[in-house]
This record gives sequence, structure tokens and C-alpha cells, in this order.
Amino acid sequence: MKEANLLLSCLALAFVGLVVMQSFKNRDINVTKDHLQPSALEASIQRGSVIYEGFCARCHMPSGEGVKSAFPPLAQSDYLLEKREESIRAVKYGQRGEIVVNGVTYNSIMSPMGLTNEEVADVMNYILNSWGNKSDAMVTVEEVAKVKKQTE
Amino acid sequence: MTEPKPFVPGWGPVKVIFMACLLGTPMFWACAQQKGVKENTPEIVTPGKQTYTTETVVPGLDIPWGMAFLPGGSMLISEKSGTLIHFKDGKKTNVKDVPEVYFRGQGGLMDLELHPRYAENGWIYLSYSSQEGTGKGGNTAILRAKLEDDRLVDQQLLYKGVPNTTRGPHFGSRLEFGDDGMLYFSIGDRYNRDENPQDVTRDGGKIYRVRDDGTVPDDNPFVNQADAKKAIFSYGHRNPQGMAKHPDTGEIWVHEHGPRGGDEINIVAKGKNYGWPKITYGINYSGTKITDDTALPGMEQPFYYWVPSIAPSGMAFVTSDLYPEWKGNLLVGSLIFQYLERCVIENDKIAYREKLVPDIGRVRNVRQGPDGYIYVAVEGKGIIKIIPN
Ligand code: HEC
Repeated sequence: MKEANLLLSCLALAFVGLVVMQSFKNRDINVTKDHLQPSALEASIQRGSVIYEGFCARCHMPSGEGVKSAFPPLAQSDYLLEKREESIRAVKYGQRGEIVVNGVTYNSIMSPMGLTNEEVADVMNYILNSWGNKSDAMVTVEEVAKVKKQTE
Repeated sequence: MTEPKPFVPGWGPVKVIFMACLLGTPMFWACAQQKGVKENTPEIVTPGKQTYTTETVVPGLDIPWGMAFLPGGSMLISEKSGTLIHFKDGKKTNVKDVPEVYFRGQGGLMDLELHPRYAENGWIYLSYSSQEGTGKGGNTAILRAKLEDDRLVDQQLLYKGVPNTTRGPHFGSRLEFGDDGMLYFSIGDRYNRDENPQDVTRDGGKIYRVRDDGTVPDDNPFVNQADAKKAIFSYGHRNPQGMAKHPDTGEIWVHEHGPRGGDEINIVAKGKNYGWPKITYGINYSGTKITDDTALPGMEQPFYYWVPSIAPSGMAFVTSDLYPEWKGNLLVGSLIFQYLERCVIENDKIAYREKLVPDIGRVRNVRQGPDGYIYVAVEGKGIIKIIPN
């Protein structure tokens, strides 16, 4: 009985080891594959992460959680995920006045940041695909170019 | 505006302390004492009753950065977006022929300062982000010019930081004249902390000192060092956005944005190293460490540091008789917490901190006008005057 237990444990351990190794192997393969041919979206997300760190993180935080009652979250933000055009406009031209994000009202100012259309597209793709956010439809430079300033 | 997020010690440390008590393990206590986590003293006080009222004297401004009071009661105001406003008799006029700004990230048209003998020579000093020179991007420029019929004439570029970079943060910008007649100004580290602040052969992360015409005085600290930027006065700074001459000692006081926690007040001295990023009381925005050190030989300790960060912008000493209780105090704007901080200095220390105009909005600048009143530049609002009861 004791030996059977030991044997079972050994088997279980070996199995776990195999699974872990396999998953590492899979990851390696994925990494190489991604590295060799990153999709246009992945490349844009990559560039966007650099923009995010330099232009957005100090307010919206490195993990997109925002700062309570000062800077709205981007992670799981219903505003960002549902109002695509408004979000692009906010990043392109700045955003002020009352907006509601996840049920919380903000009435503050995000000043325009002087990003190029390509940079706006990149950072949009990054925030739309980070911290649990997901959006398959890629934001393109053309789409950003079409978004006009709100006439006040 | 480089403004760090506030680092508010949250539940984490509290939980850890709680567990330490439960388990009686001193090790946990050590964790909770980790540097950067502890709020610095003295704690800020919000007084129950207000001894002043406020009046909006210039409404409808976006990001008012610089304020200069002209003889005759009018005022120049710079908007970050690049407009220079001449406010006279209740009316705003946009000044023409303002240099083109590199409008990106924290850059734009920034500080304003009048020559100490403005009445005689008419020189106005401006700082702005500029694409002047070679390379993609921009860096901080210092220019002087005169105002004639609401135009900037006789423009002279006095200094331009290099290299240009497309990085958005940390332009610095503040201008102040010393008792020695020299112009002091700040350029932030341009978001390149590994290369710029500790290297005196590079621009960025520095306080500079030049004559009123931009030439370098012979007694600057690095004039004899080959390759050094000769205009540098002190180094090891991150992003200084407040600068004021102490009314009694004539010393140049600056404050600078830290990373997450660790905003500092420094009294700058010739050739000294203020330590960024080798030493700091702050951590990365992401919560990871920048360095283990808060002090190292050959590097200056700050006069004061803020943990959590208040994101300081604008600095002024109260000298006027209109606020007898505040005389000699230091005023600092807070972008993130949206108030004006009044610091009482005793025995070379900040002995007391008080919140003025709580929740007024992001305070970008503060100055005492020639009329003795305190004027506060608030983002999205305008210029607000503090009137004692
Ligand atoms: C100075 C602080 C600051 C910076 C820097 C900043 N934001 Fe914002 N952002 C805000 C504030 C404040 C609001 C809400 C404005 C309002 O109340 O109308 C906002 C709103 C938003 C929104 C819409 C609301 C939401 O949470 O979904 C998006 C999207 C956004 N920001 C993205 C960005 C991106 C991308 C960057 C960097 C390129 C950036 N922001 C940089 C302060 C900032």
C-alpha cells in the first residue's frame, strides 16, 4: 500500500513536471513565432506601450487603474471599450468636462498631448489590449485621421 | 508637467503591520518600514476657518503657466498651448510673433520673467519647448524679447537644450533672477534619467545660470571642465517646476517633481549634485524600486521631500504686509491634490504645512504681485487672487 502511494506520487510529480516543461516549450515556440512575424496589431501594441509609459502612465497609472476621483481608469473602462470614437478624440485632442467612467463622474481636464495620428493609433491599440481589455478591431492611422475635433 | 501620481500608502503596509503584531515577527515590521512607503512629516493641516476669500481676476484660461506683472497694472500670462496673453483693463489680447512651441506632452509655452530692471530695458524672458536645431523632437529653450504694441520684438534665443527628443515629459522651465543679476533656469531630465541628470556634459536635469544676455559668467562651476555645458549651475535634478529667490538670503530655492513619492525642495548651490536618480525618496510609478539609496556621499539631501508626491508647480515666498500671519512663508502649488501649500519654515526646517484654497483645481503657478497680493494660476479656471479678511 505504502509503495503504491509512493509510486503514485512519483507518477503525479513526473506528470506535473512534463506539463510544466511542455508549457515552457510552447511559450518558447510562441515567443519565437511572434518575434519572427508580429502581426500589425502586435507591432502597434508594442509601440503603444512605449507611448503609454511616457505620456499616460503618470495619470492613468502603469496598470491602467487610474487614481480615485482624479484620473479615470483605462483598465476595464466601459467608456474606453464602448466609446471608441470618443476615446480616440480624447487622446488626439484632449478631453474636458463631465464624463462617466464605470459609473463614476469625472469633471476634469486631460490636456492635448501633441501625438501624431500613428502614435494615437498605437497607444489606443495598447490600452484596448492591456490589463484585461480586449479589442480585435485594430485602430488604424486612417481611423484616427478621420476623427475630428468636437465643435464646441 | 511632470506630474507624478500621488503615492498614498494604502492598505498594504497596514495589513503587514497588523500581521506583524499578530505574529510578533519583527521581520514583518522591517518590511512595513520600507523606504518610500512612509508618509513624510509634518502632516498637512486643513484649517477649520478660512481667513481669506478668493476672487477670479482673469477667467477662462486653460493651462496658465507663467505670470508677469507689468508696470501700470497689466499682466502677461503664458498658456501652455502657445498663446501669450496681455491682460489689460479686464481685456485679453493675444500677443503676436510669439516663438513657435513644440507642443507635445508636457511641453509648450512655459514660464515668464521680467528683467530686474525691466522699467529701464524692457526685457521679458520666456521658456518654451522648441524644435530649434537638428534632430526630431524638441527641448527647452530660453528666449528674451521686448513687448511693443502687443508684439514680441528684438527676440534673442539665449539657450536651447540639446538633443531634441520626441519624449514628452520633463521640460523644467522655471526662470528667476538672483541678487547677483544672473538668470537662473531649469531644464528637466527629458525623461532620460540614465543619461542626463548625472552628466554635466549633457543638458537636462540641471539648474543653469547665465548673464541677462545669455552669456556664461566666468565663475560658473564647470567653466574649466572640458566638454561640460558651461551654463550648468547644479545637477542631479529630475523636473524642477518651481523656483524662487529667498527674500532674505538671496538663495535660489527650487522644487522638483519626484517619481512616485519623493518630490523635493532644494536650495541650489554652485556645482552641487542633488542626486537624481542615484538617490531619491521615491519609487517608480509601477511600484518597483529605482535605487536602494536615499543618501550617498557627494550628493545633497533635499531641504524637504514630499511623500506622497503633491506634484509641485510654482513657488513663491510671502513678503507682503497684507498677510501678516504668512510673512516669510513658502507657497507651493499642488497639481495633483489641487491646493496651494503654505509652508512655515523654522530652524531651517519645514515646521508646519497648511492647505490653502482646498480643491481649487490644479495649481500651476503662484506669485506675489507688485500690489502685495498673492495670485494663483489654476488650470481650467484662470488667475485667482487671495484676499485676506
Ligand atoms: C495629466 C493627466 C493625464 C494624462 C497624462 C493622460 N490622461 Fe487620459 N484622462 C485624464 C483625465 C483627467 C480624464 C478625464 C477627463 C474629463 O473629466 O473629462 C482622462 C480621460 C481619458 C480617457 C477617457 C476616459 C476613460 O477612462 O476611458 C481615455 C481613453 C484616456 N484618458 C486615455 C489617455 C491616454 C491614452 C493617455 C496617454 C496618451 C492619457 N489619457 C494621458 C488625465 C490624463
